[in-house]
Amino acid sequence: MRRLYACTTAVFWLLVATVAIVGHWSPAADPASPAAAERLIPVAELARHALPDDCWMAIRGGVHDVSAYLPEHPSRPDVVVPWCGREATEAYETKTRGRPHSAQADELLARYRIGRLAAEKP
Amino acid sequence: MVSATRFRLTIPLLLLASAAGPVCWALPSGLSPLRSLGIILGWAGCGLLLGSLLLMLRETWLSRWLGGLEDMYRWHHRAGIVAYVALLAHPLALAVDSWPEFPAVAWQTLSPFGNGWAVRLGWLSLLLLMFGLATTFATRLPYRRWRWLHASLGIGVLLGLGHLLQLGIEEPVLPLLALATLLLGWRFIRDDAGLAARPYIVRSATPVADGVVEIGLQPLAEAVVADPGQFVLVAFFTGPGFRGCGQFHPFTVSSIGTGGEIRVGVKALGDCTRHLQSIAVGVPARVHGAFGSFLADRPATTQLWLAGGIGVTPFLALLRAGPLSQPTTLVYLYRGAADAAYLPELRALAAADRLLSLQAHATGERPPDMASLLPASPDLASRECYLCGPPAMVAAVREVLRRRGVTPRHIHFENFDFR
Repeated sequence: MRRLYACTTAVFWLLVATVAIVGHWSPAADPASPAAAERLIPVAELARHALPDDCWMAIRGGVHDVSAYLPEHPSRPDVVVPWCGREATEAYETKTRGRPHSAQADELLARYRIGRLAAEKP
Repeated sequence: MVSATRFRLTIPLLLLASAAGPVCWALPSGLSPLRSLGIILGWAGCGLLLGSLLLMLRETWLSRWLGGLEDMYRWHHRAGIVAYVALLAHPLALAVDSWPEFPAVAWQTLSPFGNGWAVRLGWLSLLLLMFGLATTFATRLPYRRWRWLHASLGIGVLLGLGHLLQLGIEEPVLPLLALATLLLGWRFIRDDAGLAARPYIVRSATPVADGVVEIGLQPLAEAVVADPGQFVLVAFFTGPGFRGCGQFHPFTVSSIGTGGEIRVGVKALGDCTRHLQSIAVGVPARVHGAFGSFLADRPATTQLWLAGGIGVTPFLALLRAGPLSQPTTLVYLYRGAADAAYLPELRALAAADRLLSLQAHATGERPPDMASLLPASPDLASRECYLCGPPAMVAAVREVLRRRGVTPRHIHFENFDFR
């Protein structure tokens, strides 16, 4: 068991070091840039995508189609699904015990961005 | 041996259930294979650690149910190391999942910097498990220091559950956290602090060889129930003319009296047991047990007992309990005359019991030639063999017995080690 511990620990640190070195020098993931030509999505359209397998969320002004990611989300479905089809910035900013999501989550979220939330007419 | 037959599968099945339960709850669907693997490994490691916590409890009823403290500790170690390997692979699998597309995201997933407390707690837990296991394997550390460093593994388990809570997974984790805290608290209060132990007082202390003292203990309340071949955990405290170390150490019972008094043979093997050689009458002690099933359920066939040094105590306890009911040969090995604990008494017992044949051998400083000391193959064919002594001696004897055609189910031994 001592040998198993030593070997697995050494391999672990070797892999962590590899991921750190390559990750550090690699370009960051290319987030979908909120270009000027980005599609404007009205609140009504957003609201039509309120199902677990067809889930859009408006977060920080952007609209994100997170249907594909939802099964991967670590929280149980009843925590996340109610925010489908809605403005979910507050929930995103105050997850467990009021803390915001991490920078990594921000980067991941950007990959699901499909447009901007259109401002509602007064 | 009872633990080797009736209970052989109890602990593995229990551990399998403890790993499979959380995995089934969190079984991912529709995710990439690596991400699914990472999630499964994390939950399996978590479940195995909880199973491992159960196996560290020292309760007589639990040890009987699970086949003995020796089996529990063996599986406690195995479950701990398998859980550790699974938990090392858990973050790597999650990070490598993003690797082909974005190596930078893989590092961001893994990195303890720039991530929230969920990832930081995961790292802290993993580092504590790494540190705790490293000290677990450092058997040269003094037992007192080793024990406290080993406890860092328990904190690692709690931090790992904190990592899950920070991820927002509260539903199964809060009960698991309560269970882990209960098991750790139980171990600390009942076993380490001695709540499960009974109060005794030292009534005699008799040197029986160089560096070996036999301590007689009288119960001050209800006595522990012990059988020959079992061991008890005893902590000696401060009393008249003696400052005890207060740690629980395992000692084989060498005698069981009708009034609940017991005697234990203590060999100077470490700081505490060396200090115990000068123990005085009147010192308070606490006794927890009894544990073990060595010599239990012995068949009526001819027997071979092989004892090395202080390993003679379980056999002595049985001989002191009354005459034998089956022909028995006791091969007693010791280094020299000064180390031959209990030899005059064993000779007297052999002279009084026609079923007991005693073969006492001074082996000197070099390892004895077991092949010449053990009976020939035809003589061993129908014997049950019971071995007690240093691990190297037990291993050598098992090898000779195996070569002479004795099957493992006829060889009984206990290699108890608390580390």
